[in-house]
Amino acid sequence: MAKPEVVIDVHEVSYTYAPALPLALDHVSLQIHKGDFLALLGQNGAGKTTLAKTFNGLLRPVTGSVTVGGLDTRNASIASLAARVGYCYQNPDHQIFNRTVYMEAAFGPRNLKLPPEEVATRVEHALRLVGLADQRDAYPFLLGKGERQKLAVASVLAMGSPILVVDEPTTGLDLRGIRSIMTLLKQWNEHEERTIVIITHDLHIVAEYIPRTVVMAQGKIIADGPTRSILSDGAVLATTGLKPPQITRVAQRLGHHGIPPDVMTVDEMLSHLRTALGSDTRARSGQPGRSM
Amino acid sequence: MPVGYSIYVEKPSYVHQRIDPRTKLFALCTSFVLALLFNNPAYLGVLLAGVIAIGLWARLPLKSFRAYLLFALWFLILGVVIWPFYISQGAVVLRLGSMQFTSDGLLFGLAMGLRVALMVTAAGVWMMSTSPQHITLGLLRLGLPYKAGMALSSTIRFVPLINAERATIIEAQRARGLDLNRGNPFRRAVRYVAVIGPMLVRTLDMAQSLALAMEARAFGARPGRTMITEIRLRRVDWYILIGCVLLIAVAVTFRVLGIGVLVRGYL
Repeated sequence: MAKPEVVIDVHEVSYTYAPALPLALDHVSLQIHKGDFLALLGQNGAGKTTLAKTFNGLLRPVTGSVTVGGLDTRNASIASLAARVGYCYQNPDHQIFNRTVYMEAAFGPRNLKLPPEEVATRVEHALRLVGLADQRDAYPFLLGKGERQKLAVASVLAMGSPILVVDEPTTGLDLRGIRSIMTLLKQWNEHEERTIVIITHDLHIVAEYIPRTVVMAQGKIIADGPTRSILSDGAVLATTGLKPPQITRVAQRLGHHGIPPDVMTVDEMLSHLRTALGSDTRARSGQPGRSM
Repeated sequence: MPVGYSIYVEKPSYVHQRIDPRTKLFALCTSFVLALLFNNPAYLGVLLAGVIAIGLWARLPLKSFRAYLLFALWFLILGVVIWPFYISQGAVVLRLGSMQFTSDGLLFGLAMGLRVALMVTAAGVWMMSTSPQHITLGLLRLGLPYKAGMALSSTIRFVPLINAERATIIEAQRARGLDLNRGNPFRRAVRYVAVIGPMLVRTLDMAQSLALAMEARAFGARPGRTMITEIRLRRVDWYILIGCVLLIAVAVTFRVLGIGVLVRGYL
């Protein structure tokens, strides 16, 4: 099967915040395809956010080029890039300023100069997706942290960009908040065929939700491939100070019992265990577990 | 005008390291008083040169005055354009219909521009040569309550943080299609609401966190407190202070006698 079209083409990009500092991006090349659901993984300072900011022209590469939907970011306007790549910041309080939830979500589409009916449709749709439709007239600052995070996501979804970059969407959220944001993004990716890039250092989220993983360290991409093979590769992860998820490490220790080394979730582990141990676990299979 | 946290320039100069912040503050006030006592551009020009000389003595690079002088240049232009309409004494240099423009009017406008230049440059030299800690320390020793001093120094300390917040907020809003560089100034100003709103919220948030952190460490438990750095007035400081007082006395005398005053009846 032919690969879907390339929507973001990063070619030999280098970037530095100041000439005296080491390169924040060091000759990075990366291709993102339509419909990809991709995690940018790495420690603080690895260059994840810097790379993501080149996708929508917030940062322009010093050398190399970034092409988004056929458009070179060096010659594109802010509005035309914002229409292609939605970028959702880590802290919702960096962008919320309107009096109502609805107005907040409508800010982006209005900046794109869409007709009012189109703005209304998109905003309604986005608010419904994140589950804030009932609170459209609420005052955004009075929402809880998880809801503000969702509002920030909705306000970017409402722009209808085919590509969505989400920076650390789960910081400061409890487990339920994390699950609902990640489920939402997964649906957006699967049902609406959007390309999604998530910046994170949370391995559990990556293991459970995100099929493709790009690992960065010191401004370079050190691994890029299916999440399953990357997260079970202890050697690659070790170079960035990470370890495979606990459940994967347990699976790797149990290899001689016929458990494959690339188990990502507790559910997977349980089903492998059932096969490996036969019928005697049936009685105790109980609740499907959580991977975190 | 340079805004932000980097106004202070650390230098190993006599002005930076040896003169008490209180003395420097008094010298700054003296320069303000002198600027207001004269309205002859020649006198003000000499005073401005004096302030710049002090700045150079403090080893401040010459180009650091440029921003202040450029700022004052606008007032200079404004002064030269406006004052001739009000000042009618002196030789007529230009007639436009029934309007007469006199040399004294133009010179007075020039003086007003130089006055602004003198004041902002003096304030600039003061801030570039006195660290925020010393400014606060000086004010505390002059009797400012230490909570107010703390407020002052944390304001200065928060400028770079708030600047970083501002940059992030602008990026976040740009990613939502906000273009701050397009359209006429009025529309641009309106668009800035999208930046100022979150900034206010973030700033209040930061202030609240700081207050909590300080209270958790018993800030304000005692009415007074000790300082790591102590300052005291030395002999040089007294010489400078006496010199400033003398300068003011001389300038007041000049004013009364009309020396250095181009147009009487105007400040």
